[in-house]
Amino acid sequence: MSAKHMFLKPGFVRAPLQNGIGRYVCQLQRIVLKFCKSNGASRGMRDFIEQDLVDFAKVNPGVVVYLKPRRHRGPVVVAEYLNGDRVWMSVHNKTHAEITKWIEVLRTQQGNNASTRLRKYQYTDHPSIQGPWTPFTHKLPELNTAELPNPAFGANNRLPMSATEQLRLMFEAQKLGEKSDDLKTAE
Amino acid sequence: MALIRRCVPLFAKVVRIHPVTTQAQKIHRWVAPTLMELKRREKKVGGKKINPRNTFLEWNLEAELYAFAQRLNEDFDSDLLLQAFTDRSYVIKEEMKQKELEFDIKMKDNRELVEIGDQFINAYIQNYLEVVLPKFPMEGVKGVRKFLTSEAILANVSLHLGTKDIILAAEYPVDNFILANTFKAIVGALLDSSGEERAAHFVRDFVITQLQGQDVNEYLPIEDPWSMLTSIVKKDGTTIEPRLIGETGRNTLLACYRVGLYVDKKMVSSGFGESVAIAKEMAAREALKKIFGTEDTMKPINFKLDGIPKPTSQTRYQITAS
Repeated sequence: MSAKHMFLKPGFVRAPLQNGIGRYVCQLQRIVLKFCKSNGASRGMRDFIEQDLVDFAKVNPGVVVYLKPRRHRGPVVVAEYLNGDRVWMSVHNKTHAEITKWIEVLRTQQGNNASTRLRKYQYTDHPSIQGPWTPFTHKLPELNTAELPNPAFGANNRLPMSATEQLRLMFEAQKLGEKSDDLKTAE
Repeated sequence: MALIRRCVPLFAKVVRIHPVTTQAQKIHRWVAPTLMELKRREKKVGGKKINPRNTFLEWNLEAELYAFAQRLNEDFDSDLLLQAFTDRSYVIKEEMKQKELEFDIKMKDNRELVEIGDQFINAYIQNYLEVVLPKFPMEGVKGVRKFLTSEAILANVSLHLGTKDIILAAEYPVDNFILANTFKAIVGALLDSSGEERAAHFVRDFVITQLQGQDVNEYLPIEDPWSMLTSIVKKDGTTIEPRLIGETGRNTLLACYRVGLYVDKKMVSSGFGESVAIAKEMAAREALKKIFGTEDTMKPINFKLDGIPKPTSQTRYQITAS
């Protein structure tokens, strides 16, 4: 994260209102399409309105669609979400296909995702499912009946191998190697 | 001079090799002053002004109400739905206006619907919880119900269903009380227009699912778990025996004791703590969770029960006054 992201709204990856556990609710509540009837920059928007808008409204009855024609102003899409977010998007000179895709993005997202700084890429209410650690958590059951002090349980196996031990192991490996020379196939 | 010129790259290298490393996050020096200036300007204008959404040019109340019902996949009676969204404060404000202009149009507010909805929500959630948590004591069920029907939870649900902009109230943005009341009124309106079962499923899908990820035991305050446990076990005719089964670090700050509870030489539960008394209490809590069927490894609560569930009369553990 750099300093320019400091102004973004921070957030976690969360579904609003446990969406989907009960029933799914489309989070886009209304969409306003602003366009000019004559300007060339609104060409794609006008095509979208002529060809796809009625189908869009039929498929998504839960989204209120408003059309706002304005003279000689650029085409704009404003999407409003159930969590109160508002996304303003200029679609100046965008083609019909591009606008269709952008509106699909607006329909399927759950809020103003583009200007949310994710604090983490994952989220959980329960960081641990095992509970807190105690000294007894992974205790060996054999320890319950062992007589202490006991060299088997008391040995310190956490130290790194000593140089003497390493040399001894190398020596023994060498001896083994000499013995098995006969077994090796000569090249 | 030439000597100095030759030495300059050397010095530069020395400086470059030993940079001052800081762990702190680099926030530019202009960030704080910019934010302060923005806040100062906002204050000068007189605070942030939020225009009510329904005063915008692109606003159609009828379309909004239709979309509201469609979004939730419910069939509302349109008059009832509008009534559910009308708060008392709005009606009072409108009546004052009408008095000035000397005409009279009767408006209905949502007080009746709120009452109907509130009763239904409470009764349904109580029944549902009694079925889903069959062994949990009634005090605990009541605690969970109180949590689910609290103003904060209902207001949050209401807000996320998109009522905020549609509500007809004297103020904007509306407060939690009005949001929660509107949700209750919507349930009341649904009850009248689509019947009990649809309303029940509506409450289940939007209110009861708020239990997802919550620990039910938090809503059952237990002051003395040990005496509660012994009184419950006494009814079964057995006795419970606590045993110290582990201790480390005695007389240190990090002392840890582990106590196991045994019934007929079989371990029921175990708990740990920094003293024997605490460990025993924790073990008793753990045992109570097992008895109530709400241990940490319990199956998730069922959010798919259809219709209005009827709690069967089961032997529920009664909590004696302890």
